[in-house]
Amino acid sequence: MRKNWAIAVFMAFLLVGTAAWAIAPVPAKEIKAGFVYVGPVGDGGWTYMHDKGRLDMEKAFPGLTSSIVESVPEGPDAVRVMETFVRNGSKLVFATSFGYMDFVQEVAKKHPDVVFMHCSGYKSAPNVGTYFGRIYQPRYLSGLVAGKMTKSNVIGYVAANPIPEVIRGINAFTLGVRKVNPKAKVKVIWLFSWFDPGKEKEATKALIDSGADVIAMHADSGAAPQAAEEAKVWVVGYNNDMSKYAPTRHLTAPVWDWGKLYKYTADKVVKGTWKSESIWWGLKEKMVGLAPFGKSVPDSVKKIVAAEQAKIVSGKWDVFTGPIRDQAGKVKIEAGKRMSDGDMLSMSWFVQGVEGTIPK
Amino acid sequence: MSAPFRVERRLDCPAWLNWAIPVGAVATALLAGAVLLFFLGVSPLAAYTAMFRGALGDAWGLSETIVKAIPLTLAGLAVGLSFTMVVWNIGAEGQLVMGALAAVAVVRYAFVDSAPVMFFLMFVAAALAGGLWAGFAGFLKARWSVNEIITTLMMNYIAILLTEYFIYGPWRDPSSLGFPMTAPFPAAARLAVLGGTRVHVGLILAIFLALLFRVLYRWTRWGFELRVIGNNANAARYAGMDYMKNVLLAMFVSGAVAGIAGMIEVAGLQGRIQPGFSAGYGYTAIIVAWLARLNPVGTVFVSFLLGALLVGGDTLQVVMRLPLASVQVLQGLILFCVLGGEFFRNYRIVPVGKGE
Amino acid sequence: MDSSMQQAPLVEMRGISKAFATVRANAGIDFDVRPGEVHTLLGENGAGKSTLMNILNGLYIPDSGTIRVKGENRRFSSPRDAIAAGIGMVHQHFMLVQVLTVWENMIMGLPGLEAILPKKTVIKRIQDISTRYGLGVEPEARVWQLSVGEQQRVEILKMLYRRAEILVLDEPTSVLTPQEVHHLFNTIRQMTAEGHGVVFISHKLDEVMEISDRITILRKGEVVETLSGRNVSKEELAEKMVGRKVVFAVDKTVLNLGETVLETDGVCALNDRGLPAVRNLSLSIREGEILGIAGIAGNGQRELCEALSGLRPIQFGRVILMGVDMTGAHPIEFIKAGVGYIPADRKGTGLVGSMNLRENFNLKNFWRKPYSRGIFLSWENVAGETGRIVERFGVATPGLGVPVRNLSGGNQQRLMLGRELSGTPRLIVAMQPTWGLDVGATEFVRDQLLRQRERGAAILLVSEDLEEVMALSDRLAVIHKGEIMGVVDDPRGVTEEELGLMMAGIPMSAAVRGERSL
Repeated sequence: MRKNWAIAVFMAFLLVGTAAWAIAPVPAKEIKAGFVYVGPVGDGGWTYMHDKGRLDMEKAFPGLTSSIVESVPEGPDAVRVMETFVRNGSKLVFATSFGYMDFVQEVAKKHPDVVFMHCSGYKSAPNVGTYFGRIYQPRYLSGLVAGKMTKSNVIGYVAANPIPEVIRGINAFTLGVRKVNPKAKVKVIWLFSWFDPGKEKEATKALIDSGADVIAMHADSGAAPQAAEEAKVWVVGYNNDMSKYAPTRHLTAPVWDWGKLYKYTADKVVKGTWKSESIWWGLKEKMVGLAPFGKSVPDSVKKIVAAEQAKIVSGKWDVFTGPIRDQAGKVKIEAGKRMSDGDMLSMSWFVQGVEGTIPK
Repeated sequence: MSAPFRVERRLDCPAWLNWAIPVGAVATALLAGAVLLFFLGVSPLAAYTAMFRGALGDAWGLSETIVKAIPLTLAGLAVGLSFTMVVWNIGAEGQLVMGALAAVAVVRYAFVDSAPVMFFLMFVAAALAGGLWAGFAGFLKARWSVNEIITTLMMNYIAILLTEYFIYGPWRDPSSLGFPMTAPFPAAARLAVLGGTRVHVGLILAIFLALLFRVLYRWTRWGFELRVIGNNANAARYAGMDYMKNVLLAMFVSGAVAGIAGMIEVAGLQGRIQPGFSAGYGYTAIIVAWLARLNPVGTVFVSFLLGALLVGGDTLQVVMRLPLASVQVLQGLILFCVLGGEFFRNYRIVPVGKGE
Repeated sequence: MDSSMQQAPLVEMRGISKAFATVRANAGIDFDVRPGEVHTLLGENGAGKSTLMNILNGLYIPDSGTIRVKGENRRFSSPRDAIAAGIGMVHQHFMLVQVLTVWENMIMGLPGLEAILPKKTVIKRIQDISTRYGLGVEPEARVWQLSVGEQQRVEILKMLYRRAEILVLDEPTSVLTPQEVHHLFNTIRQMTAEGHGVVFISHKLDEVMEISDRITILRKGEVVETLSGRNVSKEELAEKMVGRKVVFAVDKTVLNLGETVLETDGVCALNDRGLPAVRNLSLSIREGEILGIAGIAGNGQRELCEALSGLRPIQFGRVILMGVDMTGAHPIEFIKAGVGYIPADRKGTGLVGSMNLRENFNLKNFWRKPYSRGIFLSWENVAGETGRIVERFGVATPGLGVPVRNLSGGNQQRLMLGRELSGTPRLIVAMQPTWGLDVGATEFVRDQLLRQRERGAAILLVSEDLEEVMALSDRLAVIHKGEIMGVVDDPRGVTEEELGLMMAGIPMSAAVRGERSL
């Protein structure tokens, strides 16, 4: 009796499905792009900014349409999602999170005629390009602001996962803070999650409780700024202008403009000139930047930021230029030397001034 | 004051209802879903077509549905076993993760370049890891009546954090440039796959275990004891059945099967673990087990159905451009109606005429 | 009573029909209650008494038929509606909150302003009702402190407090001592004298004849006859109820007793709440002997039976079976040693309602050949033996694959009895084996127990039905608060009153002497 029941559910599903299949039209062919998102579009952060970039791209290329799948876990399910894109005619697939790396390779191998772009990873292939932005540059700039604004000289940093990308951001931020305020410390709490508003909020509160009067963050939602606003402490957002979450407390935020990269890639694919490359654009290419300053940021601080920004954009200086010491005070980058991109991409140590540990 | 109808318990369920309820439930769900889709500005027919095609319309869709159904079946069987004796193992997720971790450990520390040996070793290690993980909660219940819902649930978090510790820490692949993932499995530790699909030998294992469970429940003393305890614990005691021993054993076996699900998932698909690799199979398994009404063979079918819903859901997002939330509402509607239909198996609605 | 005959009925049920799936529980039943009368509802289990009363009480909606209360058509969709119309039911299982006081229980669930009357007013009203009907209820007492009989009176008072004009008493005497039954009947007479109507449900024919003004006999959902409570014989009632002639006498042969099967020595056991339930209890039973245990419900009988089948830990003392010390052994050891246990709670303990007949037979046999081999079960052998039991014990069932909850109580009991007796047990612990059974099934169960006695089994028979233990036992012990008040070697030479005193906690010597000195 029980078995019959299960089969009956199954058959009912099959029946209705078959009926629908028999009548529906076959979709027409067109140039399509697919986006694999790690969170929901409504996260107000990472995925939201990617989607903004996607819409920019659609506007710029009327012949190109795109579709998305949200909240794809960074596991074997990603293969299916990408395969679904390809099977529904996508010639260009963007995988917007690091965890998809293996799966992009797996699917790309099967579909050499489709272009895959993987965000923030390091594995490429003839039909797989990688892309990322030098968000550490605006993070450094935001660090200048935070260093100037703190009174308690304790700055909290809500950090998603202990991977090089996040570590790099913390370091750049701290270098900025210490540049204008050598006494300040940056306290780090790991979330071990990219998108978990509950945890983000709790971590923020914990940092505030331990004395932080400025909060910086590397996570995908607007929960940390909200918590900061409630507790009336300054906050540096991330991903996009988060002033709507913290109207009176938002200082600025390192922000993304993925549209730059998406338009660039789409252009090449449409023209047929796409080649696999590893793109790492920064302030100069305007793929990253700073959100507008909050009202409370004094002009003197804005001037310092503008000067540093000009230095970076000119290419004469970059954030990780020596001398830079690690937490133990040991010189990691000697005076005058610039860190290589490779070293930056696999960074796994904290600079002096960071309070926290990297899980080993 | 009184409602125009009232609910009355059914004494028995006529045979035709066994068919009418699920068919009616799915039809109701699809109908309700159609209204939703209509208001989203999407043709319901086209949407359902897309969903069906994506999940079952061709060999690839079918294979992907099966890929989803494998861990769901195994985890569904696992929790179903404990539910049969009314012990609530909510921790299949943690046991699954522990099984996967054990498989990784075997590959790391006891690798032998032989696929059958590796399969055997990983199988045993995963079963032990999952089994002991659940068995501990079983022990706490048997010895001190600690509520197993709470312990198994809490142990999920411990298992996941433990796994993350290894992924971020000692077992991190040195060549991953600091990114959190374990080293890829060598070929001998991967499961054989079917043709160009991702369907792996886990399919055979899942079906085999489902049949084995059927035999267990129907034809063995232990299966009989489990069912008696689940149906009437007093009577089981009266019949001389040992509750404590059975709780321990059931939790162990339940956890072992969940552990195997984890090992199969790792060795069959990615060949390494990174954070969040499970996709919550251990939790979905609870729904699977209930929808299948704890029937092992039914579990296979329900897993397939749920797999199809998940796979079809992707297609719905890609083709119909529906946001995930509305796809989830649609999937939820179907589950809700099917589970809700259960109500009519046990109760019926009796109209009440106007009084006085 | 004659005056009441002319009066309009308080409640009048006409053409009541109710079916559950395929079972017709009530088919066109007419039933009424007049002011000042006791109208008894008599019938076997499954005859439709409970269904009819649950309809009157608003728990079920009838498929057809009408209910008139004082000439007005009414429809009840809940007990609340029924009590509002003046119909109150006292269930077998009381609906009182144990930790609250009597007066708190009174106002619980009352609608509107009545629930917030000052305590003084409530207590005053309780005392008024209590004196008027001779209930003797103490308003400030907490319910758990009261005896079962007192709790029953609280239930009755609760209905009177709610101004019930018709009281439905569902098997009220099954939990009472003979003295308490007497008290209850006085209360009932007081109520009828005040103009209330009482519906009395019972299967004890003597009581029915004593208290009833009218008797309506139900069989298979239909009214057989409504007759006057006077000038009716026990045999006549039984025959109408069962549909055939019934013999009441128990034929018992005199047997030579064999070896001692069970011996207990100072056994103490706790109840589920951890309080002493069996105290220093010593007894012994020999082959071919029935030891009856009489007592009011809840005096440690269940705990004793469970202790003797290994289900309840023994705090002190020893249990010796066939010379082997079984103290502390696992229940399965008792089963293997040949202890058959017929628990009172057949649906909750003795059987698994959702499982079928085969599985329920297997419940106590799965561990042994030929019903299992190694780890595997042999369902053919199980089915074969289950089939034989069904036949031999006359279990009426559509098949062996039917869940036993679909069987009537009598058939469940036959099945359980068949299972417990199938392994030729050395000791049979039978608790309330005929409880809730109709006359036919009762006869059958008693006969089977006597046959086992003749076969040489030792039987411990626990019953709250004095008539039963007195008729069946070779020796009779009375239990009170877990202690044996006395053992009567000749159960036929003792009066119900003497037993009643022992059941109330007066040791045998005093009870027997007291009775004689009167």
